[in-house]
Amino acid sequence: MSSVAVSIHESYREKLRNNRLGLWLFFVSEAFMFGGLLAARFYLWREDGVVVRPALDQQLGLIVTSVLLLSSYFMNRAETAIAHDDRENFLSGLLITAFLGLVFLAGVVIFEWGGHIKPWDGVFGAVLFGMTGMHALHVLSGVIFILIIWWNGRKGHFSADRHWGVEACAIYWHYVDLVWIFFYPALYLIGRVVH
Amino acid sequence: MGNTKSGIYRIGIVVLVALAALTGIEYIVAVTFNSAAVLFLIALAKAALVLQYFMHVYRLWSEEEH
Amino acid sequence: MSLFSLPAVKGLIAQILGTIAGMALTTVIRALMGLPAWKAEPAWVVGALLGGVAFLFAVGAFDDWLQWMVGKETPLRHGPPPDRPAWTRYFSVDYNHKVIGIQYTVWGLFLLMAGGTFALAFRTELLRSGMQFLGLELFNNFIGLHGIVMIGGILLGVGGMANYLVPLMLGAEDMAFPRLNALGFWFNVPGALLILSSLLVGGWDAGWTGYPPLSARGPIGYQLFFLGVYFIGLSSIVGAVNLLVTILHMRPKGMSLFRMPIFVWGVFATSLIQLTATQLIGLSFLMVLVERTLGMGFFDPGLAGPGKALLEGGGDPILFQHLFWFYSHPAVYIFILPGLAVIGELLPVFARKPLFGYKWVALSSLAIALVGFLVWAHHMFVSGMNPGLRVPFMFATLLVAVPTGVKFFSWVGTIWGGKLHFPTPMLFVLGAISVFLIGGLTGPILGTVPTNMPLHDSYFVVGHFHATMFGGFVFPFFAALYFWYPKVTGRMYNETLGKIHFWLMTPAFWAQTLGQMTVGVMGMRRRIADYDPALGNGMIQAGHVVITIAGFAIAFGVLLMIYNFIRSAEVGKVAGSNPWRSRSPEWQIPSPVPEHSFAAPVTVVGEPYDYGLAGSTYVRMAAAGDD
Ligand code: HEM
Ligand SMILES: [Cu+2]
Repeated sequence: MSSVAVSIHESYREKLRNNRLGLWLFFVSEAFMFGGLLAARFYLWREDGVVVRPALDQQLGLIVTSVLLLSSYFMNRAETAIAHDDRENFLSGLLITAFLGLVFLAGVVIFEWGGHIKPWDGVFGAVLFGMTGMHALHVLSGVIFILIIWWNGRKGHFSADRHWGVEACAIYWHYVDLVWIFFYPALYLIGRVVH
Repeated sequence: MGNTKSGIYRIGIVVLVALAALTGIEYIVAVTFNSAAVLFLIALAKAALVLQYFMHVYRLWSEEEH
Repeated sequence: MSLFSLPAVKGLIAQILGTIAGMALTTVIRALMGLPAWKAEPAWVVGALLGGVAFLFAVGAFDDWLQWMVGKETPLRHGPPPDRPAWTRYFSVDYNHKVIGIQYTVWGLFLLMAGGTFALAFRTELLRSGMQFLGLELFNNFIGLHGIVMIGGILLGVGGMANYLVPLMLGAEDMAFPRLNALGFWFNVPGALLILSSLLVGGWDAGWTGYPPLSARGPIGYQLFFLGVYFIGLSSIVGAVNLLVTILHMRPKGMSLFRMPIFVWGVFATSLIQLTATQLIGLSFLMVLVERTLGMGFFDPGLAGPGKALLEGGGDPILFQHLFWFYSHPAVYIFILPGLAVIGELLPVFARKPLFGYKWVALSSLAIALVGFLVWAHHMFVSGMNPGLRVPFMFATLLVAVPTGVKFFSWVGTIWGGKLHFPTPMLFVLGAISVFLIGGLTGPILGTVPTNMPLHDSYFVVGHFHATMFGGFVFPFFAALYFWYPKVTGRMYNETLGKIHFWLMTPAFWAQTLGQMTVGVMGMRRRIADYDPALGNGMIQAGHVVITIAGFAIAFGVLLMIYNFIRSAEVGKVAGSNPWRSRSPEWQIPSPVPEHSFAAPVTVVGEPYDYGLAGSTYVRMAAAGDD
């Protein structure tokens, strides 16, 4: 090692400020990608100039949407808990969130993808699988993120004043939910049904 | 409701109920008069709730601990 | 020390092994699913992806984060590696922004030369009509590779300048996220290798724009091209996050936004584009990738079957063009905004005069970045898109000329009445202005619908964009290399060689770009391997000869520069800390810059460009004297 360790004296707070802004900028970036998918959906799912959509299982749509919203509540609960040094609710909140995330994934991957539309079924299949696939990848990474945080939390990491990892995980999870708030109506609700 | 833990939990529940209600309204709008504009506006409202109460976007410009 | 302990070499080996592993994995999965086990295309896609990721793991880009995942904290590593010679840090994951800046620059120069070599090859082919030594397919592969490798090189050059200079200009020790910074650089290595290795699997023949349906049907090389671009795009995005946070949060005391160096403004505007628009080229290429791999019909209308159109019908290639140009038009501003900012940065130093209209110049960068998002369809006037979009996009396009004009006024105003000096960097700055003027004047011609129609897809377009990219990036980049060379190495480059480089390259470039426009007007189409020798009353051949010779002259000039830099690093005369009498913070500290840059905190106490004003000071350092 060369020179003195007078190095970076970033305090935790300064780092936190940077981390937050960085993560939000990443969200902005991702928003353009998800926006591109939405643009593709409204560009391609048209018939004679009218916006259309495929016949999807509406019950399934409502269920997975509700599950994801519920998971966001528990994530918020977990973050609030650690901010008040309540480890019990923190850890249980994380586990419930991850579980609900997996339920959502199962709903999409097993039931939605197992339905009558396949990826190679024209623009309906392409856009449906493109949007749900990209979103599912984010859900999956979110679940993994949650489990890592949970595992470290169980070992006693994180505290009321130092839990950027939890905060990052939480807002990432909410972001994934936020995307679905737009994807759900775009896929399931908007436009005339075409069989 | 303030900053106490139970206060924040309660806000969480209120937001969750609001989100669920808006989702229900979305569904009803879709099966009755199916207006893309209304559906989009509802989605925006839901997004605003998530951004404010779950993602705490204001932390970006407020000076605050943790 | 054995070669195999070099992280970069480890990464290369891992990339090869990862590719093989990915192919094997795909084959096994397919066999388990009861499909015919071997299918080249999916095997290559998974292999290439896994190979690229394996490179990053093996080179060590994720080391610290993997530790964090299991709850360990890792202090930031500083300095050269303790157990290896110091030079090996350039082939390792190093967190110092100055090292990363040099890694970017050198890898960028390498790519620019590789891309240039492709160009020289097909330029030589075009010396005569008829086919000489390149086959038609190889010709098409080379124009595509030339385009995308050059773009990669430019992005790396931009990253090099930004990473090296921005923290120094902010008086900061490093970037906001040093680890992410290193990852951002290393993405580019497997990415570029993927693009180059596409030649081994059939290449790709649609040009750098990769339009479907051709790209949805051509050889497997397309997949490596798409994945390579995806990696480089990830680098752009994480780099932009890093630069934006650094600029917004790490300015020194007293440096309000309107006291930032103009280069930092340029990088700020560029980063906003890189952060957002890059996602769209990634998405559009990813969509073609899955279209090819899984049969998802986004773009290729040919997949259409009869009957129920939406369930069986194919997609729409125009959608691809919209998504693609939503990135690729703003991308041209990614290239030029830092370059134009270098012009603004250097002119006051060599004119010993304040930068004319500083605030307007700063804001014009932002304005260009924002308006640049609203003009993409000017590449699609004749594509068959909704014709109602033409006129709005034409007006939006012409609007870009306003903030661009602001910059020209500022340059002229700064030169006007200045005490001019003409060392090599200043010459390149003036060359940049002259060349960018040619590019800027031909832009509105192409942006106007009626003139665009006959010129689209002709060599006129080729002339236009080479002038903008050389004027907006290459010349300023070279100016920057010469200008900051003494800061980086502590020694002066050879001035005579630098001047020869300039006087060789500038006229050659004018000849090249004006020649390209001329043959374009004569009827030369772009991306075509052959031409009718009777075009332009038989003058077209002469035009191509001029362009080709000019191309070789430029290449020679670049080699001269490289030689100059390598040689001067050893024999150049010692430069001292501030040979250009600049006011910027990085010149107030020793050359080469010490590991931790600033020994004491920097405070900004005045305006950045008040050259020649008595008693004015920009930065104050606790220890050293002022100005
Ligand atoms: C004054 C502002 C500019 C205007 C109005 C303008 C306009 C245009 C138009 C209309 C085209 C499409 C021509 C066609 O294919 O029919 C074009 C092509 C192009 N321009 Fe510009 N341009 C401007 C500045 C720039 C700058 C600053 C750069 C880059 C540094 C640039 C790079 C390019 C490239 C690379 C292409 C060709 C893309 C391709 O098809 O491969 N332009 N420009
Ligand atoms: Cu353009």
